[in-house]
Amino acid sequence: MVNCSLCNRPAVYVMRAGGKAYCEHHFLRYFDKKVRKTIRKYRMFREKEHIVVAVSGGKDSLALLHYLNKLSNRVPGWRISALLIDEGIKGYRDRTIKDFLKVVNELNVDYRIVSFKKEIGYTLDEIVKIGINKGLPYLPCSYCGVFRRYLLNKAAREMSGSVLATAHNLDDIIQTYLLNIIQNNWDKVPKLAPVSKGPFHPKFVRRVKPFYEVLEKETTLYAILNSLYPEFIECPYAVHSVRWSIRRYINELEEKHPGTKYSLIRSLLNIIGILEKLGYGKEGAIGTCSICGEPSSNKVCRACMFRKELGILT
Amino acid sequence: MRVRFADGTTKELNVNGISIRELFKTLNLLLEEYIVVVKGRVVTDDYIVKDGDEVILYPVVSGG
Repeated sequence: MVNCSLCNRPAVYVMRAGGKAYCEHHFLRYFDKKVRKTIRKYRMFREKEHIVVAVSGGKDSLALLHYLNKLSNRVPGWRISALLIDEGIKGYRDRTIKDFLKVVNELNVDYRIVSFKKEIGYTLDEIVKIGINKGLPYLPCSYCGVFRRYLLNKAAREMSGSVLATAHNLDDIIQTYLLNIIQNNWDKVPKLAPVSKGPFHPKFVRRVKPFYEVLEKETTLYAILNSLYPEFIECPYAVHSVRWSIRRYINELEEKHPGTKYSLIRSLLNIIGILEKLGYGKEGAIGTCSICGEPSSNKVCRACMFRKELGILT
Repeated sequence: MRVRFADGTTKELNVNGISIRELFKTLNLLLEEYIVVVKGRVVTDDYIVKDGDEVILYPVVSGG
């Protein structure tokens, strides 16, 4: 049985890329050190912040809320709130909301739940049906992603948040990176930076990814060791995603060649620098949507474009 | 031994004295995609599973 490289107790985690093993105590110390280093390296937070944590009720976002709430005890100028977007996915989001409520109540954190139904007028399930009836391409994940990002920014601003923290981990980021390469979407690659970059719209809430350099296996273990791992449930729309195949492929590579994931994130950070020098992703969110007044890099934002196509613009 | 998946399904296997790594090969699963718990403790891939053990697999990949 593998023992901890630091204290000889039974290991719970083997870092194959670095050749080290950690017991529960030293894994949690390693995790804390790694996230704090990421926060410092990319200057994610200032001394005084109202951090709104985007929480879905899944293991990663519950882990982020738990971690930042704990860290905030050491930073007097920080205030932590949680924000959940209820897309209205029957049999899925209604169940993860229960896990969300359990944790925010245990941690005694202020929270807000914002629903597609109330803000957009329809649940995601209804939106998908409207799209099918209109003969539009089947795009549940695109509708969900665009409306969710739109509402996260709007609600975080309404909560007077100074920064929005999302639980994207290293695995999420490199999957999106490869997805963008496959789809030849180089403009989207600079948006995968650990912190959102300016120029900023006055209505745009700065975004940060504190788990940027943390593996999904590590966020999962953190969630399990802190009794945060929720009831396992999968989004019914996720099976249609190309991301699923990319994830499996990267995990196979990592298993055969430990360190592949860290190489990919370094590759991404290098390419972001190169692309920015070439002028990619520079347009940012500097304009204002002529329909809803929210930040947009185009005359009409993507959320309003989708609403127009679906015929649900009121 | 019994393998319990996070969705509640189980699989009975007639094996004894194999490592988690060998068990994953048998099940055609990737170690990268699960955290393994035996007797309430997180274990690493060299842990030897004994007859009567229940191995719980927590997926790392989330479907949402």
